[in-house]
Amino acid sequence: MMILQPLIDGLAIGSLYALIALSMVIIYKTSEVPNFAQGEMAMLSTFFAYYLMENAGFAFPYAFLGALVFAAVVGVVFEFVFLRREKEVGILGFILITLGFERILYGIAGWKWGSEQKLFPSSFAPLPVSGSTMIHLGGVSISQIKLIIVIVAVSLIGLIFLFFKYTRVGIAMKATQQNATAARINGIRTKRIMSLTWAMSAVVGAIAGMLLVPGTNTSLDANIMLAPLLKGFAAAVLGGMNTLVGSIGGGIILGVIEKFFGFYISSEFETVVAFLIIVIILWFRPGGLFGRHYVRKV
Amino acid sequence: MNRFYSFIIAMAFASFLILPGCAKKAVDERRGVTDTTVKIGQWGPQSGPAALWGAVARGSDLYFKIINEEGGIAGRKIQHFIRDDGYQPNRTKSEVKQLVEGEGVFAFVGGLGTATGMAVKQYLNDNKVPWVNPSSPSSHWTFPQSKYLFNFFPLSSTEADLLLKYAMENLKKNSFSIFYQNDDYGKLGYLAAKHILEKKGLKLAEGVSVENADTDLSSHALKLKNANADVVIMWVNPKHASIILGQCANIGYKPQWMASSTLSDMAIMYKISRGLWKDMIFANFTESPDSDSPLMKKYRAYHQKFAPNERWGVFYYAGIMFAEPMVEALKKCGKDLTVENFVKAMESIKDFQGIGPKITYGPNQRQGANSIFIAKCISDTKAQKLTGWLTSDFDVNEILKQVK
Repeated sequence: MMILQPLIDGLAIGSLYALIALSMVIIYKTSEVPNFAQGEMAMLSTFFAYYLMENAGFAFPYAFLGALVFAAVVGVVFEFVFLRREKEVGILGFILITLGFERILYGIAGWKWGSEQKLFPSSFAPLPVSGSTMIHLGGVSISQIKLIIVIVAVSLIGLIFLFFKYTRVGIAMKATQQNATAARINGIRTKRIMSLTWAMSAVVGAIAGMLLVPGTNTSLDANIMLAPLLKGFAAAVLGGMNTLVGSIGGGIILGVIEKFFGFYISSEFETVVAFLIIVIILWFRPGGLFGRHYVRKV
Repeated sequence: MNRFYSFIIAMAFASFLILPGCAKKAVDERRGVTDTTVKIGQWGPQSGPAALWGAVARGSDLYFKIINEEGGIAGRKIQHFIRDDGYQPNRTKSEVKQLVEGEGVFAFVGGLGTATGMAVKQYLNDNKVPWVNPSSPSSHWTFPQSKYLFNFFPLSSTEADLLLKYAMENLKKNSFSIFYQNDDYGKLGYLAAKHILEKKGLKLAEGVSVENADTDLSSHALKLKNANADVVIMWVNPKHASIILGQCANIGYKPQWMASSTLSDMAIMYKISRGLWKDMIFANFTESPDSDSPLMKKYRAYHQKFAPNERWGVFYYAGIMFAEPMVEALKKCGKDLTVENFVKAMESIKDFQGIGPKITYGPNQRQGANSIFIAKCISDTKAQKLTGWLTSDFDVNEILKQVK
């Protein structure tokens, strides 16, 4: 049984990494920018949900939806205000802008909500889901919220996969990434597509944030996403930055390695070893486990 | 001619470099002291991730206001300078340098954080700036000792010794696990506990470490459950403490938990652990918030008068506790306040007690106390005092080599 429990724990936390990875991959697929503000966008959205519940008295489901709308707005505004104005800045410039935005959001959260730990509800009342209710299955146990995290991660990735494959907007997004000029010539409103991508990614990130806090039994503060973002990014790189399947694969592999190593060998090097394995894998598959590595020809 | 000019210019530069140095040496002894004022500096995060602990500096500020209100010390009022370093060592260094060389403070009190304090420890000692009672538990302050640095914050090895003793003698428990953060603060507690148990022929059931950045502690909880000790003692930050309680409760592991004094702000711990803090047995370095000791009553009254908007929490009034011995030494110096006199006055403090433990310094004694008392959490506002002040005779040198 002791093999199964770390596996289940790894699966749950890995799904959370997968959600963060997914939100980064969506942006990367269309604009080839790793968005380092993703974590703070999620953190701020989670704070917004907290605000709706604590100050405006909304029940969890409404606050959750409200925060998703808020996240979408933040995503669109960021793309519109910061990125669209910048022409020819290159990838390095984009990365710098996302890092700057990250600092701004971090500052806002600190200023608005201070440094005290905030209690984010651990139950989704009136929905019958709670972080302290455990489901026991033949010797292993998982909290309801962790189970929800796994389900949400898998189904969201499935949905987004279908979206990119079969909907016109999804295909337009892919076209924008592959060749923006050609896409524009073919009548795709690439700017609008970009805004939409950012909104989508921010929403996925916000979902990750709002599940992370009750899922890991933690309380809410401005630092909540610092480490998970790094793990999510690592998961995305591990799986392959340009594949959706990669983010879930990468996330779960990372989560499971961490939990197994932490339980059987030493929690001291839990994170270190996970990253070491990523480095080794990237040695052999530079494009990530599930990605294709393409070399651009001049 | 050219050579002549270069010589003149070189001499001019050299004199610029030498002269201010001479001038500074001459005023050092009475830096920051006039007949009517004495300047005291303190750093602590007022912004950023650790801002919660910024309350310490504001607590000291309240105390100095009280002293000034009561007429000051030997005709001098205390001017207190708080600098926000955001818990970043490089900022601490620049703020402290500015306070010493720009503002010219006489001494420092408190000073929050181990890494931040380490960034200025050598600088303060080299410049003969007294630093009284760093507000963080670290063996670095007094091992090895330095002339101008005084400390009485209990070491985690002291807590390990006293908590283990209490659990073995009063609770009749003898299987223990340790949950600690992976730095010298946590490790000192862990290694001390292991050492003490080994000396008694007992074996530690499990030692689980946590990294500062870790968020998910499910494998940590699983390890603790697997070891199944009767008692788990923690040296971690408040957030990790509340997460591990939640995770362990989820998987059905309910040992007797014990906590370090850095987790003694019960109101916060009770809240962020969603009530799981109940029945926690924890170390304390200062009186409980509702203590009816005469000093605490007096400070609470002044708190209402001068800073009614501050939360009356442990970290806030710990700021008072860190400053009390300093004021005692200033009083001993009287009119004749110089750095050397102040150090002598600090060294002559014997069995002094404010709202912390009994403190004794000496010419070769910079660690002023090795004491805590133990309490049990009854509710978010009520603690039951289980012991009076206890003093540990554990020799930290036995394990110090393993920490570094």
